[in-house]
Amino acid sequence: MSTQTDETQTISPVASEPSRFRPSTRGWAIRLVVIALLAVVTVWRVATVQPLWADHISLAAIFAIIGLSLNIVLGYTGQVSLGHHAFVGLGAFIAAHHITERAGCAPEEGCIESSLGTFSVAILLAILSGVISAGLLGMVALRIKGLYLALITLTYGFVAVNSIFEISSLTRGGAGMPAPRPATFFSDHKYMVLCLGLLGVCMFIDWRFLRSKMGRAVLAVKSSEAVAASYAVNVTAYKLMAFMLSGAFAGLAGALFAFRRQIVVAPDFSFSTALLWVLMVVVGGLGSRLGVVIGSMFFALFPFLIQLVGFLNDFLANTLQRDPEELTLVIGPFLALLTMIQFPGGIAEQISPITRWLGGDRFTMHPEGKHHKPSLLQRRRAKKQGLEVHDDAELVATKSEDLLRDAAGEPDAASTQTMAAVDSSEEVKS
Amino acid sequence: MRTTIVSAVLVVLLGLGLLVGAGVENGPNPFITLGVMNGAVFGLVALGLVLVYKGTRVFNFAQGEFGTIAAYLLFLSINRGWPYWVGILVALAGTVLIGLVLERGVIRPLINAPRINVLVATIAAALFMIGMEILIARIEPRSLSPIIAAVDSSGNPNGVTVFNLPIEPQRLIALGVLLSLGGVLAWFFSKTDLGLAVLATSQDAFATRVMGIGIERMSRFIWVSAALLGAIAGILYVPLTGALTPAVMTSNILIPAFTGAVIGGMTSLPGAFVGGIVIGVVQSVGLWAGGHFTIGEKALQEVIPGVEQVTILLVLLAVLLSRPQGLLGKEA
Repeated sequence: MSTQTDETQTISPVASEPSRFRPSTRGWAIRLVVIALLAVVTVWRVATVQPLWADHISLAAIFAIIGLSLNIVLGYTGQVSLGHHAFVGLGAFIAAHHITERAGCAPEEGCIESSLGTFSVAILLAILSGVISAGLLGMVALRIKGLYLALITLTYGFVAVNSIFEISSLTRGGAGMPAPRPATFFSDHKYMVLCLGLLGVCMFIDWRFLRSKMGRAVLAVKSSEAVAASYAVNVTAYKLMAFMLSGAFAGLAGALFAFRRQIVVAPDFSFSTALLWVLMVVVGGLGSRLGVVIGSMFFALFPFLIQLVGFLNDFLANTLQRDPEELTLVIGPFLALLTMIQFPGGIAEQISPITRWLGGDRFTMHPEGKHHKPSLLQRRRAKKQGLEVHDDAELVATKSEDLLRDAAGEPDAASTQTMAAVDSSEEVKS
Repeated sequence: MRTTIVSAVLVVLLGLGLLVGAGVENGPNPFITLGVMNGAVFGLVALGLVLVYKGTRVFNFAQGEFGTIAAYLLFLSINRGWPYWVGILVALAGTVLIGLVLERGVIRPLINAPRINVLVATIAAALFMIGMEILIARIEPRSLSPIIAAVDSSGNPNGVTVFNLPIEPQRLIALGVLLSLGGVLAWFFSKTDLGLAVLATSQDAFATRVMGIGIERMSRFIWVSAALLGAIAGILYVPLTGALTPAVMTSNILIPAFTGAVIGGMTSLPGAFVGGIVIGVVQSVGLWAGGHFTIGEKALQEVIPGVEQVTILLVLLAVLLSRPQGLLGKEA
């Protein structure tokens, strides 16, 4: 620790926190108008979209549900699931299997549209399959301290691809298992509305989950298992519950995936897909519902968006002779690395000035009490001024009142946010 | 002590298996042998995983792709008409360079971030490498020749024959390399100053820095060694599969290697060795059982396809339930 830390800590407490900012009536009116405009434009664009793009948007909504599912594991419990392709795939096959084999609606028998009843049951079965498989794996993996869930789900995914997805009575081998849509959602456009609606339901459940006693317990466990346990939080049980909710979302996404193409084939669910899903959550911003949805949708739509940009598409197709989807595997990880190293908050952090403003706050790039990793530019500037900057340094505080407030406020923030860059030794120890 | 006991028990089990298997028609013995040989490659990759885990407490998902990239570099060098050993040198040097770049560009900025971030970063790095391979080399498979050809000029198989199963020289080399590297690394971590410094970094980076050890230097050392181990595994394994495709090491080797490392205990180098061999044998015997046994009218593998992978998962679950720290690991 440098001497500056000690100085900031000895500064006497200043006046109590300023009261929270509240916009005036006019401010609220402007915000409401902007929200209404955004909603109207979105609804109008989506309602009049072309069938091809309706299909793309369905995929985006499915990806967003998968993103929410992974966000529960990664963002809320601080674990990683690398077998989500198995959960999603199993859900897809179970849904398709129910429609075709058990409800007897096979295309070869002339059944093009499934009934709404069997469709709903198929979706429920897919959700159940996700809950059960997540529960079984979690029961073993989440007892152990550390990131063993990553390894168990990894092996489970491997088994799913090599074994479960090869069972021909479930998957019909390479030909794939048909999954006809019901008449109510038969057109691409209606199906898109269904996917978006279910995404909304998932976001609502996710929001309520996080606000419940369960959600608070899960977040407490993420911060510190030992402290949470000392407050009589059953660490394993809450991690397991969160993982089962994640499994439910994954199963639902799987069923929607099956009915999108109306046929399920095993190669759709590969290990690298699962890895890409993990990365899209990171790019979206861990723990942020809106960020994750935007990030996931971006990853889903990226290959199609490239095709919209004429010169890029020509360059890819003619000069490089590459498929836009191949580029996703390069751009996606690159964005994820950039996010983790340079912009740890992801997309959520980048749009946070806007979302906070809409929620009734001031429009600022740097909200109070938030710590930012210094950007490359800031670090270079600090170095020029002769300040020592470590990689693990918190932001160089620019305003003196920030410092005073921090010194008066939470002790943790005061010890980490300092004038110059200081090693945050607490993090090193953990 | 524990290492000796566990190894002895496993060797005895292996011997018993071979003895029992000898009495069975179309018995499992060739499969057991093949399993040990496959296990050597899993062990090599597991060694790299354990090395990184010991040094930084991170599961390194880029370990497999080090191997694929080394294999591609070797392929390119041979295609240019360079001798095989030059190709190997190019492959090793190139992979070490990638290891350095990865450490400096990705791992170092995250040195104090939560471990889960570093884990996800290695996933991103692995996928980035896979993406680049697909973009540059396409998905079309290429063939890479082994160090010593499996068949000599007159058509006779090189190498040895065990239980009527010809073992290619490449497999013997892989086993030998695994044995010697395992020994060298075990010695390195217990006897040399540098090895102890690496271990100290993993336990408490801050205290290590206070003691005057540069943790950046340790981090660089760990990742270069891991890249080197990964490259060796890739060079030895890819000629055995016959097809060099993007992500070949990640999709074929990484997951069994991880399972092996966990079974052996993520912190134990002998454990990586033992775990790798165990996975190899379990997988291979599972394959044999799938073809040998029948349920009703059907063969086992028709009822449960990929029965060998299912047995891997079952073994992993059994080990984690009974001994979460793995067979030879010290802590959970």
